Amino acid sequence: MEALDEYLGPPVVLEDESDSSDCSSRKRHKSKLPLAKSMCVEARVESGFHKTCRICLEHVREAMLHHRWQEAAEYMASYTQILEDRNKIKAQPHKELVWRISTEILHHLPNATVKDYNIIYEQMKHSGVKHYLMICLEHSFHLMLHGDIQAAKRQLSIAESWRHGKESVSQLPRIKLIQAYRSLLDYIMWCDKKSTLSINNSFESDNQGMHTFFRLAATNLQDILKNPGVWDPFILCYVEMLEYYGDNEEAQKVLNDYAYDNSFPPNPNAHVYLYQFLKRHDAPDKKLMKVLKHLHLLVPSHELMLAYSCLLLQSEKQSHTQKALGVLLEMLDFQCWRSNLDVWKCLHAVIHQLLQQEEWATSVQGQMALRNDWWPALHFTSFHAKKDLEENSELFKVKASLAEILCPGRPLRYTAETQMLTS
Amino acid sequence: MEEEDADEYKEPCNQCAAVDWGISDEGRFYCRSCHNVIERTREVVDMSFTCNTNRISRITRQSRIRKTECGYVWMLCEGFQFILQNQADALLRLGVTPQFKDDVLCQMWRLYLQKSQQGYTKNPIRSLRFRRAALDSDTDVDSAAESVLSSNFTDSGSVLDSSAGSNAESSSDWMGSDRSSAGTSSSWKRSRSLMTMKTTLALIHLALVWSREALTLSDLLRLVKEGHVPYVTAYEELPEEMKLCGPDALLFHVERIPSHRSVHKEAQVLVQYLQLPAFPPIVPEALLHPAPLSLRYLTDANLPDELHRWVCVLMDRAGMADQERHTLDGGSRPVLPRYDLQAAALIIVTMKVMFGLDDHTEWDLSNKTGSHDDIGDLFSFRKWYKLVQAALLDAQQRRNQDIARKQWKGKKLFFTDKRDRLFMTKRRRISEHVQMCLKRLSSCPAAVHYGGPSSFQFCWGDEDGSDGPSLLHTKLDRVVSLSNGFKTPLNLNYWHPPLRPCNPRTCTSHYPSMEPALPRSFVWLLQLFSFILDVEAWYLFDEVLEVERRVFGIRTPQIGQQLETRKWLRTEKTSTTHQPDIFYQN
Repeated sequence: MEALDEYLGPPVVLEDESDSSDCSSRKRHKSKLPLAKSMCVEARVESGFHKTCRICLEHVREAMLHHRWQEAAEYMASYTQILEDRNKIKAQPHKELVWRISTEILHHLPNATVKDYNIIYEQMKHSGVKHYLMICLEHSFHLMLHGDIQAAKRQLSIAESWRHGKESVSQLPRIKLIQAYRSLLDYIMWCDKKSTLSINNSFESDNQGMHTFFRLAATNLQDILKNPGVWDPFILCYVEMLEYYGDNEEAQKVLNDYAYDNSFPPNPNAHVYLYQFLKRHDAPDKKLMKVLKHLHLLVPSHELMLAYSCLLLQSEKQSHTQKALGVLLEMLDFQCWRSNLDVWKCLHAVIHQLLQQEEWATSVQGQMALRNDWWPALHFTSFHAKKDLEENSELFKVKASLAEILCPGRPLRYTAETQMLTS
Repeated sequence: MEEEDADEYKEPCNQCAAVDWGISDEGRFYCRSCHNVIERTREVVDMSFTCNTNRISRITRQSRIRKTECGYVWMLCEGFQFILQNQADALLRLGVTPQFKDDVLCQMWRLYLQKSQQGYTKNPIRSLRFRRAALDSDTDVDSAAESVLSSNFTDSGSVLDSSAGSNAESSSDWMGSDRSSAGTSSSWKRSRSLMTMKTTLALIHLALVWSREALTLSDLLRLVKEGHVPYVTAYEELPEEMKLCGPDALLFHVERIPSHRSVHKEAQVLVQYLQLPAFPPIVPEALLHPAPLSLRYLTDANLPDELHRWVCVLMDRAGMADQERHTLDGGSRPVLPRYDLQAAALIIVTMKVMFGLDDHTEWDLSNKTGSHDDIGDLFSFRKWYKLVQAALLDAQQRRNQDIARKQWKGKKLFFTDKRDRLFMTKRRRISEHVQMCLKRLSSCPAAVHYGGPSSFQFCWGDEDGSDGPSLLHTKLDRVVSLSNGFKTPLNLNYWHPPLRPCNPRTCTSHYPSMEPALPRSFVWLLQLFSFILDVEAWYLFDEVLEVERRVFGIRTPQIGQQLETRKWLRTEKTSTTHQPDIFYQN
């Protein structure tokens, strides 16, 4: 190695004698530019061991991409030696590779059993602290998917109580996620108990056990839901449980917080859940409209906008009618509602009501001002006419009646003139 | 004992405020009333692991017996000696003569120890004396060390006079030495860095050259890669009493197999360092001489035997037939020849002379030979190329797969201290379990199967499992012609890449920049031989340039001079007036 060279002095190089004569004949300027790295230098950076592992990984990838799973498993078996790398820093990303690739391969091997998965998950869990929690979570997901709820819950409980100094502090969000999923599992078990309860309505049913699960899940979920985030599946479970036990105020409070707390990321689903809950419990229209107003701000093309505009129409207030017009027009801005008969019908009804007011023209013009350029092309071309006539003649009638009102003075081709169609 | 530990902890639980602690199976503290688990764990002290075989203890001067029970300090060179011995035994099993080990390698090793002052010398490196005083003033390393060195190396039992070397202070490398001592003098560092695993290979190579065995350096490296000669896991074969401990132990940890170039450099430096006398001459009958060695490579590459005569002609012209060229002699700057590369380069230059290798001539010649299958026993470059290319692709793929599957971690665990052992044991367990699981599922063996060691990369013939039909018997009738009673190649063109002066100290090779402009046939031929020898293509290319220099009799490339084609075949630049000897008499 180089140490020997240093010991013995400058490297022994074969020099031709005439080189020295050349040196004297020319002035050699030593270049001040940095010497480019010679491509012939033997790669000191990568050892044979790492080269083997790199090439092995390439073979694994090739095999996986071509769905040759047996071959991939063979090469992966050779790759595991990277876990014994003395260089701890270099070995770190490889642990994740081994974990993820091995589980992927197992998914595709016909003779893989749950026991094999357990082995891989258990071993890789303990190979490093950085991904202990993630592997626990994935392991429990796997057990969940295979129906073993008890084992999944056990895994998550163990993971929840894991502490490793600074690591566990830095991975706090993951621990929260694990807690949330554990509560979900409690809820699933509660559901199981509930279904058995309804089937055999006798003293065999485990009311006490059900209540325990509820309590476990509830305490945890209460904690979790205080953290900002998107907790859609969890909140639904929680609300369901609360409704079952009749605690509607708590449920409404939870949903309200979820929808209106500013520290949470804006989530249209929160408003949808709140709306559905209120509807289930026969809330007054005003409340419903309030919720839907917020939803409209977030997602103008939501399907509940139709319900919103219907509510506005029913309220028979002038301002509401105009608002309904705005809501429906915004809905129709989106391509997905283009051929929806209900939306157009509602629009027809709104326009009809609006026509009874004075200055309906200004209000319509006000709403259509932004849209004049592109609405005709979006809805009222001859192509649309032909299509709508073929598919849904009622739609055509409704649209045709609105065309002139919405886009007055523009030459629209939305007609059923026979000469146009036969030409 | 558990209860005592638990009772000592008097903090109230933060969930239920009770002071009632228990200890779970894993050693964690938990509150008995609310089952809250906290971070505190019980300290477990494991007394089972003792490393007392590495503790320095008192060894008297007179005793020549190794006391392994109460601890004995081994020297690094002893470890390397065991490894060298195992490597030599492996080579003997493969068929090398026993004199290689007993007479040559052993003597070289002793010479090495003497030169590096690790043994057989009256004046050892005394740098550790003040360190030893710091450790334990009573300890002494006795001449039992000498007995280890002399008694177990040779089977013949011939021992150098160890009394001349028996001295109590010959201790230069310590295993299990006090790592905290910061006062390592430079001489200790020097002696510590002299011996590495690569040096064992360099020593073996020198001994093989001295014994004139047929194993070239590329053969040796191939045997190492295939595992026939212990190297990567050589530490496994150290005796049980030798426990590797401390940072020095990492010298035995191998993560790469050195390249041809680096071992050759090391061997070259060793020749100088050991001040070896002149080597036994490499006569033309010796298997390292280019004449027989090139025949072997011709056979491996499936080239016709007739080509060998042309190789010899070229060899004469290059002045390489002379045995002095190949024999290492003493002197201030001995040059260790690269026998394998030289032979391969000779073949390449011969092919260049015969076939042009400029992407035109060789195909024209092939066309003249005929493209049908009924060319009989005439050699056609095209046919040969197709055959060999297919085999080469397969062989390259197999080699790639072997690299991917090679296992670098031995069965025995390698660790340097107690903490390291814990780490490595845990990792080994994880790796083994995952591996077993995957192996069971794939139901196919993943280990590399190396066949028996062979001198040849390819197998040509008609048997099962051969790479293709053999072209060794084919004739070069369409490639050479008879004129004036002399056989001459039909091809009269010879090309040479332009040269420019450069600084040999900073430039390694210009091949990467030249390669895009070189003819593809030539590049392919380079790749073929660099696959056979398992070296880098640029390394072989430099040797080809060197051989061409010798053939044309030029010393160094002059600035601005272009070598012209065709002239060189007719005229001679040097003052000698003998005939241009590309021709040879039938």
